[in-house]
Amino acid sequence: MTSVIEVAGLRKTFASRLGKARITALDGIDFSVQPGELFGLLGPNGAGKTTTVKILLGLTRATEGSARVCGLPVGDPESRRTVGYLPEGHRIPSYLTANQALAIFGRMSGMDKKAVQQRSGELLEKVRLTPWADIRIKKFSKGMTQRLGIACALVHAPDVLLLDEPTDGVDPVGRREIRDLLREEARGGTAILLNSHLLSEIELTCDRVAVLRGGRVAVQGTIEELTRRKGAQYKMVATPVDESLVASFRESGAGVERVNGHMLVSVDDLQHLNTLVDRLRASGGVLSELSPVRSTLEDVFVDLVRASDVMVGGTEEVQP
Amino acid sequence: MKVLVSSIEDVFREAAARWTLIAYFFLSSLFLIIFASAINLDIVDGALAGAKLFGKEVQMNDSMSIEKLVLGFETGFSAILYFLCTFMAIFATAHLVPRLQEKGTIDLYLSRPVSRTGLLLSRYVAGLILAATNIVYLIGSIWAIVVWKTGVANPRFLLAGAIILFVIATLLAFAFLVGVVTSSTAVSIMTTYGLFFFALMLVAHERIEAAVSKEWQATLIKTLYWVIPKTAELGQAVVAFVAGENVPARVAAVLTPAPFVTTAAFGVACLVLASWMFQRKEF
Repeated sequence: MTSVIEVAGLRKTFASRLGKARITALDGIDFSVQPGELFGLLGPNGAGKTTTVKILLGLTRATEGSARVCGLPVGDPESRRTVGYLPEGHRIPSYLTANQALAIFGRMSGMDKKAVQQRSGELLEKVRLTPWADIRIKKFSKGMTQRLGIACALVHAPDVLLLDEPTDGVDPVGRREIRDLLREEARGGTAILLNSHLLSEIELTCDRVAVLRGGRVAVQGTIEELTRRKGAQYKMVATPVDESLVASFRESGAGVERVNGHMLVSVDDLQHLNTLVDRLRASGGVLSELSPVRSTLEDVFVDLVRASDVMVGGTEEVQP
Repeated sequence: MKVLVSSIEDVFREAAARWTLIAYFFLSSLFLIIFASAINLDIVDGALAGAKLFGKEVQMNDSMSIEKLVLGFETGFSAILYFLCTFMAIFATAHLVPRLQEKGTIDLYLSRPVSRTGLLLSRYVAGLILAATNIVYLIGSIWAIVVWKTGVANPRFLLAGAIILFVIATLLAFAFLVGVVTSSTAVSIMTTYGLFFFALMLVAHERIEAAVSKEWQATLIKTLYWVIPKTAELGQAVVAFVAGENVPARVAAVLTPAPFVTTAAFGVACLVLASWMFQRKEF
């Protein structure tokens, strides 16, 4: 499948006014996003996330490397015809109403008046702003402004959606609605690049993520790949479990940790796990729960940021 | 075209919401009311029997016709309108670029399939249309009042609005350039007014050149005179154009292409430079 966002060897260096001090914001990053994919861009402050998005939109220029959107170089304004963007801390002119904002941004994206009117009604319904359609934005709460920002990004039915902190200031119900909306757009084939500090949001929403650190891609992969612990660990709830059974597990080479009435067992592979289950049953034990233990994305993120050199689940090597 | 229409709609909505449009037209209307109440003409059988201007009796003699009187005060008012329209237009439109470049706003506009030059020029045209609307309202209303009160229609007075709009276009181009560089509305307004007054002073460039002690200073004054807009000459041109054949030779002498061509060149250079810098700017 052809990628709709292709970033290769992207470098960006900021120079001071006199050109003496140089700061490398991006140090050769590569990633791609497929149609219908929800891709998360993570990283601590200053990692280069916003710079990447700004390069993709032509707001800033790359020092080296290439970035293409829908097959077009990002310097070409036409590459933005099928891109919707929600900037962090966006300021849709507060003197406009929701309908007027959608009309102005829709027409700027090449839509005609009738198409904008039709699309505005659908979108305002989706983001629950229909009763506010003709109210000036300055009367809106932060969450409502954010939902309108998403509607403005979606007004021209883009193929690519770039969202910077889309759930910022939105209440939990609103967040869920935004997640559902994004999934719906992705199901329709829209590629979505999500830039957020809210790791739980990324974890709940995205198919794949890249973690930036120091201007480089420290790691990228699916949530499954990133959160899978090295060596499989399982939570086992069974009764009765006596010390002899635990000793028998350990003899097999498994790691066993007893925690709050259940066991965390570390095994080499599924065969090894089945051997332990057989031993449990042989000893008269009854298994009531057996589930794999995963890291959260936050664990992965914190470890990556702290670590100087880490390898995660078959993905890219962390650069110093 | 859709970008231009969107920009015009955006600029007018902003002007309305921020009271700029209301203040703009309120001041113009105030001027019109003063103007309408200031003129009292006594016309008997189509001939001017007496006239009062701001309550003062106008001395009438045999050679004074109603046409001459109308031409006289239209010529005088055109000079006032030149300053009034120009100043109000710059005040009402100088924010267009600095506000556009605000963080969180510029991203929304530049993420659309619009070239940066196209976006900047569409805002420029929108600003000019806003200024032109006010000129048409102000000058058109005065012209209509004069026709209503005297029955004398002088189309040259209406057309003088085109020269005023030309000066506004040049100064707005400069304000846009300053706006692109500084992102500050206050600096844009101050520097544009500064340019206007500095250019007024340079009408006496020959005397200034003679007064300075060093040759390079004289050269600098001369160069500046030719580079920056000829706001004094163009003000005189407005008056000369309205007065037609009745203008003094000294004033009529400015109705040559030179002030227009050099001023237009300055405006175009400012717009090209503003577009180039806006194109290169990183947000």
